[in-house]
Order: sequence, then structure tokens, then C-alpha cells
Amino acid sequence: MISLKIDGENIKVPEGSTLLQAAEKAGVEIPVMCYDDRLDHFASCMVCMVKSRDSGQMLASCSVKAEEGMDIITGDEEVFEARKASLELLLSDHTGDCQAPCQLACPAHMNIPLMNRLLGEGKVDEALQVVQQDIPIPSILGRICHAPCEGACRRKTIDEPVSICLLKRYAGDIGNLQHVSAKTVNQQALKKAIGNKKVAVIGAGPAGLSAACYLQRAGYQCILYEKSDRAGGLLHLAEVMDDSYPEVLDREISQILDTGIELKTNMAVDKDLFEKLLGSSDAIVVATGEIENGIRSWNIESGKNGITIDKSTYQTSHPPVFAIGNVVRSVKSAVRSVGHGKEVAASVHQYLSGEAVKGYPKMFNSRFGKLREEEFGEYLKESHPGKRMEPVAGQGKGFDHTEMQEEAGRCLHCDCRDLHTCKLRIHADRYAANQRRYKGDAFKPVTKVFVHDAIIYEPQKCIKCGICVRLTALHKEKYGFTFIGRGFDVRIGIPFDESLEADLSETAKEVAMACPTGALALK
Amino acid sequence: MSKNEIDIHTEDIASIVAGLGTEKRSVIPILQAIQEKYNYLPEDALRSVCEMTDITTQQILGVASFYSQFRLEPVGEHMVKVCVGTACHVKGSALVYDALRRELKLGDDVHTDSAGKYTLEKVNCLGCCTLAPVVQVDNITYGHVASDKVGDILHDFENSKGPTGKSRIRSMDRKEIDGEIRIGLGSCCVASGSDKIRQAVEETVQKRGLHVNLKHVGCVGMCHQVPLVEIVPAQKEPTLYAKVSPDKVKSIINKHFSPPGLLKRIQNKLTDTIENIQNDGQWEGIERYHLDVREKQVSSFLGHQVLIATEFRGIINPLDIDEYIHRGGFSALGNVFRNLSPDELIRSIKKSGIRGRGGACFPTGEKWEAVARQDAPTKYIICNGDEGDPGAFMDRMLLESYPYRIIEGMIMAAYAVGASLGYFYIRAEYPLAVSRIRQALQVCREKAYLGQNIMKSGFSFDLNLFEGAGAFVCGEETALIASIEGNRGFPRLRPPYPAEKGLWGHPTLVNNAETFAQIAYIIRNGSDKYNAIGSATCKGTKVFALAGKVARGGLIEVPMGISIRKIVEEIGGGVAGGRAFKAVQIGGPSGGCVPASMADTAIDLESLSAAGAMIGSGGMVVLDETDCMVDIAKYFLSFTQKESCGKCTFCRIGTRRMLDILERLCSGKGEKGDLEKLEELAGLTRKGSLCGLGRTAPNPVLTTLRYFREEYEAHLEGRCPAGRCQELISYSINDECIGCTLCSQSCPADAIQFRPHEKHEIQQDKCIKCDSCRQVCPAGAVSVQ
Repeated sequence: MISLKIDGENIKVPEGSTLLQAAEKAGVEIPVMCYDDRLDHFASCMVCMVKSRDSGQMLASCSVKAEEGMDIITGDEEVFEARKASLELLLSDHTGDCQAPCQLACPAHMNIPLMNRLLGEGKVDEALQVVQQDIPIPSILGRICHAPCEGACRRKTIDEPVSICLLKRYAGDIGNLQHVSAKTVNQQALKKAIGNKKVAVIGAGPAGLSAACYLQRAGYQCILYEKSDRAGGLLHLAEVMDDSYPEVLDREISQILDTGIELKTNMAVDKDLFEKLLGSSDAIVVATGEIENGIRSWNIESGKNGITIDKSTYQTSHPPVFAIGNVVRSVKSAVRSVGHGKEVAASVHQYLSGEAVKGYPKMFNSRFGKLREEEFGEYLKESHPGKRMEPVAGQGKGFDHTEMQEEAGRCLHCDCRDLHTCKLRIHADRYAANQRRYKGDAFKPVTKVFVHDAIIYEPQKCIKCGICVRLTALHKEKYGFTFIGRGFDVRIGIPFDESLEADLSETAKEVAMACPTGALALK
Repeated sequence: MSKNEIDIHTEDIASIVAGLGTEKRSVIPILQAIQEKYNYLPEDALRSVCEMTDITTQQILGVASFYSQFRLEPVGEHMVKVCVGTACHVKGSALVYDALRRELKLGDDVHTDSAGKYTLEKVNCLGCCTLAPVVQVDNITYGHVASDKVGDILHDFENSKGPTGKSRIRSMDRKEIDGEIRIGLGSCCVASGSDKIRQAVEETVQKRGLHVNLKHVGCVGMCHQVPLVEIVPAQKEPTLYAKVSPDKVKSIINKHFSPPGLLKRIQNKLTDTIENIQNDGQWEGIERYHLDVREKQVSSFLGHQVLIATEFRGIINPLDIDEYIHRGGFSALGNVFRNLSPDELIRSIKKSGIRGRGGACFPTGEKWEAVARQDAPTKYIICNGDEGDPGAFMDRMLLESYPYRIIEGMIMAAYAVGASLGYFYIRAEYPLAVSRIRQALQVCREKAYLGQNIMKSGFSFDLNLFEGAGAFVCGEETALIASIEGNRGFPRLRPPYPAEKGLWGHPTLVNNAETFAQIAYIIRNGSDKYNAIGSATCKGTKVFALAGKVARGGLIEVPMGISIRKIVEEIGGGVAGGRAFKAVQIGGPSGGCVPASMADTAIDLESLSAAGAMIGSGGMVVLDETDCMVDIAKYFLSFTQKESCGKCTFCRIGTRRMLDILERLCSGKGEKGDLEKLEELAGLTRKGSLCGLGRTAPNPVLTTLRYFREEYEAHLEGRCPAGRCQELISYSINDECIGCTLCSQSCPADAIQFRPHEKHEIQQDKCIKCDSCRQVCPAGAVSVQ
């Protein structure tokens, strides 16, 4: 046995153990990317660095063997900064989107590419389920949204943006909400876990409805106070070409209220009532739309534009009170108000569970500049080549099924397939890495390579960790992956540009799963 | 990869494989043989190799694409290689390269001319730094190439093509000779035309029936005076002739040797006269080329030097083993076998204080001891001759000129550590060194200095030669070992050190060629004598390749601890052309720039590392006021960036990002905060890289930032004070113009209108900054701002 110190703690490990294994034994988690316990260590990514207290040297913990008497620091500022720098360098040469630009541009951050793919496959109910996670009123927004997502759509650079707004409308109009309800059926259980906690939401416009919807789904009892005689607020005033709009409005608002929200109409909240609500509810969400003089007299701070909030949590100067929508700053964008509603629900939940209020979780996102002409072809490989569809029945009627599928098929699949498992993203998020810090003069042009039926290879996302090279060698594949070239231009390729098809059958999936980024991913 | 450009016959591949083996480790020699045959690596040939051997497709392509020697695309009939080593770079090789591109009419990303005749490529270093800038067309080397003369080179090459004549040297009976003629045949000498001199001498000797011994000697070290011919008449003082041209050979020989008979003498006189008329040649006094060793210039060049690794420089015939033995060769080995146990030998080496000459200065005795200590039946030793520093050529010269000395050192090392097999690892860019060592090994085997029971000592040992395929990183010992094993030159983490787990997992001693070249001296003269040479911490001597803007460049061997000033001013004769000495770049891509103000810095481990540099490989490039330090930093970074193996993040991307910043600075696009970011990246790369290449790569940047920060700041403002960075300078013609029109004629971009007898003018929008006009102007009328 070898004894050494990890962050001051004495640890004994068997001879031949690495520092990574020693740290694991000491209960210290060290980030890794090029490491895979089935393979010989390689020491390439340098994200696992630790420091020797004596020499001050940085060591790749995945490969350096523990030696008697070593004194290792795993988490001081220098180590943190070095790991962060290695992540930032890797990111500077990592061309790819985590979330697609459309999703980032959407104020409600709706998962547009996934909705598009499901619609393209004709899975409308599932598409609606995806939409509902971020937007509770897709049919309404499908008629009135100003669609900032379409402005960011990469397809716009090639020809015209995907008609996202109409696709969402299709999902909302045709999809069956039963499935969504099935997902939220556990409300009773949630309520039990949370206890009978009440949240008062003041104002039943798009912001208030959205907040109430997501809070109610999370297990809270929401009471919605509306000064007029009906819920919906400014949604009623939208100019829409479609005659069915009033029905759509009724349907979607009812669907929200039917989850158990208590709506109190003709209830204008004044100072007295507000004080009273503070006593009777566990938290309050202010979504009145306008900042009236009455509100300024409430015991919460406000400024020129509206109620003062913490921008990432929507919390006001009075901790149990949150504010969203136009009362914070008048923008008059329904989708933005809906987004606020979804996000504030997360903050309120954190507040009421006694957690630190951090707001809606935001992950790191890798991004790159505009699509360049030489990249068009690569992106079109995965999509329908045609022009943007116009509904034959007229804009006011929306797509029919065939049109919908064709249009959804125009989506370029900009979002990464390994969005949630990519180690580069996870570590970049944890180390607050800045992709632009060491930005080069130009990103390498994006390519998408189809090497196998089951997997897709996007070389520009590759961090050259060599796991796929080592893994295919381990499985003795005839045409496995290999390093080609050297230096900054080194890349991973298949000898003689062969296809992996012939040989790489079982290994293909294994390799795609082992890839720490989205460079090799299951289709 | 192109398919089936040429017909590949499986039998050809099979015979290559049969000669080199079917194991994984044979991959590099097999690739070299295939390229030798087809001039590139055809895909079908590689596929056949994989079918016939244990070599996998992954391995063969990974290796073929890693080493710069290998080409996966067909090339033109002839290779035009522009040396872009440090010395060539500071003397304008980039302009030469651009001029060749124009001459061959190459478009962007095209390297072969439309006729498929010439392929143009850059090479890291041809090791002829004193002749910079250098261009090689196939096997003919052209030195001091001016960018406006590249057409002449191709023309000359066209004319000189054809089968080379066979050697016409006569065998001489030693007893009859009237004296000896020594011709330098190191790469520098050969590049400067010594081969033609050799032919001229042989011809003269044969025609005149002289009884002289014609002798080829290794590098004399005075590479700034090449080609050199030394005449040693029997019982007379030797005379050294410098910068000899073939047409002067006859006069030189005639001055010293008389032909045997009267009739022959008259006959010769007659032929001479006829030849003179035919050639319209003018007889010039040969004294002009006469270079007496006692003259001040030469004695200061040689005077400060102490010859250990380069003992008998310019005297000894590299391959003549009898002469080597006659001058004390193998006596150290005999002494060791008779009188010293391996332990005692290691103690002597430790006592001498010698440190490794490869750059890191690790004590040699300790390294030997570490290998000797291993209880293992199989051990190896390796001579590291993978000199990758683009401004250094001492390993090449030592291997070419003193093969037996290095072999002797290796046999002693093998005896000390208990190894029975060893390897020479020599980069393939040094064909002369490779062939000399190959021949020397053969001679040693014939004379029983290698093989079973060497010198009847009971000790057996043999040596193989491995040709490196072009990768700077393979100078790092773990990468070198990976390369011999048939892999990409990826370094791995140490420990375990090669002393414990080296070649194929066995304990391995890796020493530099220069280290081995010093061992015999230590044994012959005693550890104390060696220990007395040098500084307090660094003992013995070091060979440096002195080049750049120095008056007398060449190979020098000096005691450790000597000051930079002594080397540059006394040995090197100061900066050439009356310009101001600005800095000296020591240690190549891992070293740093020491400014002129610190010229009293001693050359040893501590003083240099305090200055931010290191001895490194031993390249020493002198820079003058016209050299831009940001450009120098950019030059080295682009080198390390290309040579990085690409394995670890900091070296692969960190050096690239530093280069991005330097490129921005040199093109006037620098941004606020760039210098700070550069320092930050340099610090991170130094700390976070896996091997020595990455850890030292920031040194050229850090030292120039430290000593020449104001130059960096000037670049941030869009100025290049030294007038180097093309995008920050402009050419104009001043009032000195005499209207000779030469500039207009030489301008490849038609930027200067032809106006005889008038002051010329450069049209800025057309000017491509190729420097041609400045080079041809006889009046110094072209200014650069």
C-alpha cells in the first residue's frame, strides 16, 4: 500500500493506483474527459489536473501514479483556473451548438428542434408534450407570437427560416393533451411531498397564467387574482386573422385552469389585500401587467420601468414576493411573459423548498458564428431541401398534415445530440468557462459525416481525446478510428476514408456512447 | 488520397516487406522504402502492407500522417525544398519561398507546378545554417539564395541534370605520396560545392599524375568559409584555402606539388594554356583565397575553442578506422575493458561531471546508474540524433564526421549499463549522417568492434540504425521510443522513466550523440581533466551551431561557462555588415532570446535559465537591429505549433492561440489586452503541457516579451520598428535613385514603372513587398518603413 495526502487527508491506496483513484478514495470528484476505465490512460484533455504541493507542478491525475508521501491539492484556485483554462482552450476549437440558436432566441427557451423532429416523424402528441414543457399556450402563441426563434434559425442563412411558429400551432391544435396530463398526473403525490403550500398570483394575463400553470404542475396550490371578469389579459386584444382565435383562447386558458388553479375574477388587489395575501400565502407572484400607482405604495421596491427584481430569479426586495411580465418592464411580448412565468415557478419552488434561490437553471451553451456558405451542404444533409412552406389554406388556417411534416423536415438539427451527456458542456458549466476567452481567428468549418447507419460524426466537436481510437483498437476493428496528422490540425478519421459500416457494428454504439462530447453520437 | 495514380505491384511490396519484417515495429522503415520507390505513399501500397503484415490500417495511416517525411499525395518530378530554419528565416527565406511560388506559378494551396515537374515544399532545417538562405533541388543544395535569383537556380539545376560521373580517384600507395589534400565533406561543404571541388581535384591529380593522398575530412567547423581545401605537403606547413571555387583548384595544386617528370610538366603547361584560351578564364592570384591559421581572424575563431567531441577536427577522415585508431581511437574502450568494472566506469563518468548534451542537462552518470541498477536481462541504449531544432546542426556534424567516436562512447555506455543492443536514431533529413553511420557500423562489425566478444573482453554488443521520419517531438525520449516501436511520436508521462521502462518495456538508456562523443575523451584523459573544463556547475564543453547575422558562423566547441559576448564577438567576429548586435537566440524553439545588453551572461544551466533561455539543442542564432523580435517569437511558435504532436490540450491549442495573437500583432490587427492574454497563455502552456516540447514552447515568447516589450507595444500601435513585418511596412524609393531601372526590371508585380535616368517610384497598391528592388538596387535607394 502507498500512503499519500489528498487535500491534507491521509489516504492509503494499492500500488499502481492513479491519483484519480486516490482522490476518489478520499471522496474528491475530479472531472475527466479523455479517461475511460476500460482503456489505457492517455493524458490528453488535461481537465483532470491536480497540483503537487511540494513542486507546484500540475499533474494529469488520470495517468500519474500515486507515490509514497505525495501531497496533492485537488481544488485550490490555481487548479480550478488551470482546469477552466483547459476547458476554454478546448471550447475555442469546438465548433458546434449545444442548444440550437432558435431555442436560445426563444424567450421561453422552447425545445424547438426536438418538436420539429417529432412533428417530422408524425408524432404530434409527443411534440406537444415537448412544447408544453416550456409553453402552456401553443395554439394561442402559434397565432400571435412574433417568433424571435425564426430570426435566429440557421436555415435562414441558407434560404428561409423554418416556419416554427406555425409548426407549434399545429402541435397545439392537433396534439392530444391527454399525454401531457398523464405526465402531470402525479400532482397529488407532488402536493403531498410539498405540503399544502399556497401561492397567490396577481394578474391572469399570459405571465400570470404561465406562472400559475407551472407552479400548479409542480404541486403548489395557486390562487389567481384577476381584476377584470376573465383570464387572458392582453391575449384578448391581439389582432388575429383567424376566426377560431376566441375558441382557441378559451380552450387553452381552460386547460390551464383545469389543473386545479383557483381563479378569482373581478378582484383588484390593493394595498390592503396585498398585505392580507402576504399573510395567507406562502409566496406571491405579481403579474399585473402595468405598474399602477397603487403597487408603488406596496412594500416592494420599484424603479422607473416597474418593480425592481433580481433579473435571474425575479425576486423582489421582499423575499416572498416575485414579479414577472410587463410589470417589471413593459415589452408586450406574450412569449416573453410566458417564459417569465415558467422561470419564476422554478425560483418560487427553490424559495419554498428552503433552497438558495438561483432561478431557472441555465446551462452553458457552446455557440459559433453565422453559418458559412461551405457549411450549407453539411447542414442540409439532414434536412428537407425545399423552400419554406406556405399553408395552402392560407396563413390564417395553418398547415395541413403533409405541409407540416415537410416543413418540420426542413429543420437542420443544429442542436447537439449529446446535449445532456456531453462532458465538455457539463464541466464548462461547472467551471463557468467562457468560450470566447481564447477564441481563435476563425472556427474550423463544420462538417457532418455519416460513417455508419447508427452514428453521426461531427469532427469539429472532437476534442482529440482518442477514446474512439483506443476503443476500436481494443475491439480490433479492421477500419477503426485513427489519428491523422498532428499539431493543431490533428483529426480523427477512418483509414482510407472507408465507411465504418462493414466492420463497426456493435462497437459503433459503444464508441458513440463513450465519446465525451457530441462529436460521435447516436443518430 | 489519390487512387491508382501508378501501378502498384504486390510483388514489389512483398519484397520490401520481406526485407524489413512483418511486425508492427517495421512500419516506419517499410513506409520509407515505399516512398523511396514511388516517391510518395500510394494508398494501394499501404493496403497491401496491411494485408501482408501485423500492421493495422489505423497504425499505418496514423504513422504516415504523423511524420513530415511521408507524402500521401504524388509529387512532381523534382523536389524544391526551401529551408525555413531559424538562420534561413532571419535571412529572408520567406521571401525566397514566395519568389519560388511566383516562379513556378503556383496557385493557392498548390505545391506542384502545372507541368508536374517541380514540387515546392518548406523544410525545417537542412543543417546548412551558415549558407542561409538555402534551397535544395533534389540533391543539389544552393546557398545564399537571393529572392530575385530563384530563376537562376532552376536554370542551373536544369543544366546540371544527368548522370553524375563516377569517382575517378586513383588508389595511392602511401609510401609514394608527396603530401595530402584534404577536402571538407560535411553537409555545409558539400552544399557549398565541395563535391565539385573534389571532382576538380581528382581530375587534376589524375591528369598530372601527382602522388598525393586525397583525403575527405569531416566538418572543419569553419562553415562560413566553405568550401575548404587544405594542402599538406610532406614535411611542410599545411595551408588552408577558403571559399575555393573549382576553377582555382588547378592553380592551388600547382603551387604546392610538382608533377613527377619534366615531360609531364611541359604537357601540363600546354594544356593549361589551351584551357585558358578556351575558357577565357582570367588567372587570379590564389593568395586571395589563402587563409593562414595564424592570421588573427582564424585564430580567434579557433582560439577560444576546446575540442573534445570534435577532436581532430578537419584532420581525420570520418570513415577511416585505421586513422581513428592511430589517433587514439578505441584506446579508451580497451582501457575500460582491461581496467574498469561497469561500476567503476559509471563512477568515472559521474566524477567527470558531464551532463547530457541534449538540452535538459541531466547528469549523465546518474542516468547511466539508473539503467545499470535495473535488474533486467534485456536492456537497450539509444543514441538520440534526432536533431530537430531548426537552427542547429551539431549532431549532424558529429555523426557525419566522428562516427567511430560516437560508436566507441556507445559501446562503453552499453558495457556500463549492461545493454547488449543499441540504436542510432537519426533523422532522415540527414542522409549523409545516415550513410556514414551505416558504413561505420559495417566497418566496426568487420573489425570486431561490434558483435560477439568485442576486443576479446567477453562483452558482446551490436548497434542498429533507425531513421527518424521527421518529427521534432521525437527528440523527446519517450516519443523517440514510441517512434522506434512503430507508433506515432506521442510522448507519454514520466515516470516511469525509460531507465525503468523504455524500448518495448525494457530499461533503456537514451543519450544525445554529443554526450556519447565526449565519453572517450573522459576515459583517455581522466575525469579530473574533464572536470577542470567548464563552469562551477556545468563541466566540459558544448558544441554550438553559430549562425544568423554573425560574421563568421559555423560549428564551435567551447568550454561551458564562456560568455555570449566571447562567442559572438571574438569567435563569431561580431555582427556582419556593420549592423548593431541585438540579441542571440539560444536553444531554438525551447530556448529564448538573450538581449545584447546581457551579452556577459555565461553559457551554463543556471545563468541561461535565469535569463529565461536554455542551452537546449545548441542552436545559437545571432540577431541584429533589422530583426523583429515579435516576428522571431511568431516564427518559433509557428514551428512548435506545427511540430506539436497534438496530444494534450495546452500544447495543441494553447500554442495555436498564442500564434493567433502573434499573427494579429504582426499584421497590425492587435487588440488591447493581447499582450496580457499572451502572457497568460504562455504561463498556462508552460504549466499544463504533458512533455518538454509544450512546457518550453512559450520560452521564445516569454523572453522576447520580457526584454523587448516596447517592440510588442509598437506592433499593437501598428508599427514594426525593425521594418520586418510585411503588413506593417512599405517600400519607397528615395533621392539616391540613379535611374538605372534595375528595380523596375526585377519587380515581379509591375509596381515600378520603367523610367531610365529618372527617379523611380513604387506603386503601393501593386507592391507585394518581395524585397527584390531593394536587393538589386546598386545605390541603396530603396527604403523600408
